[in-house]
Amino acid sequence: MIQIQRSRIDVEAVVNSVRRDDAGAIVVFLGSVRSDPEVRALDYEVYRPMALRTLTELVERAKEKFGALEMSIVHRVGRVPVGGDSVVLACAAAHRSEAFAACAWAMDEVKRIVPIWKTEAGPRRPRAKPDGNPRGRPAAHRKVP
Amino acid sequence: MQVQVRLFATYREIVGAGQLAWTLRDGTTVGQLVEAVLAKYPRLVGHGNRMLLAVNHEVVRSESVLREGDEVALLPPVSGGAR
Repeated sequence: MIQIQRSRIDVEAVVNSVRRDDAGAIVVFLGSVRSDPEVRALDYEVYRPMALRTLTELVERAKEKFGALEMSIVHRVGRVPVGGDSVVLACAAAHRSEAFAACAWAMDEVKRIVPIWKTEAGPRRPRAKPDGNPRGRPAAHRKVP
Repeated sequence: MQVQVRLFATYREIVGAGQLAWTLRDGTTVGQLVEAVLAKYPRLVGHGNRMLLAVNHEVVRSESVLREGDEVALLPPVSGGAR
């Protein structure tokens, strides 16, 4: 499973997508948006066709390099609030050592080469228009339902 | 010939558009296209040495020769994060 989506990631579905009878280990990594005084959410932007291609290639490399049996990567785009999962990576292998190694390597590669960029969305602060009416911040800082 | 130039994140914000149609002479390389883009948008110049280049979703070297209809992406460093 290789997906880039705006909606919340179903972690259990990602885990189930790598299950197989000859896999004795499944390692799952969740990348979550960390709280920070100036950060309310992260906005992720993607170059989708290249990101999908790069993710597919790196899964194949992880299988060759570490003997991973299955690997799924799901990444969110758009706004992800603090505490939300922006990426979920699940890796199945015969034994835990290969599963841990492949998962760690693949996640480093996701951060290094997959064309996904993030920007911080800060706290909402009302701003006065020239006529004195309060107005929310522009799109990057506006509250998203 | 014409190619499409795609811009993302910081570069998109600087240029004010995510996609530009660009007309070129036959035989133009990716590097020559980037020089032309930087000349038109000088605020991108400081970012040039960290820019990754892709044509039709594959990373290329600046010597690659462009063809009609190519999609050329100017990619800022992937934001990632240390952990």
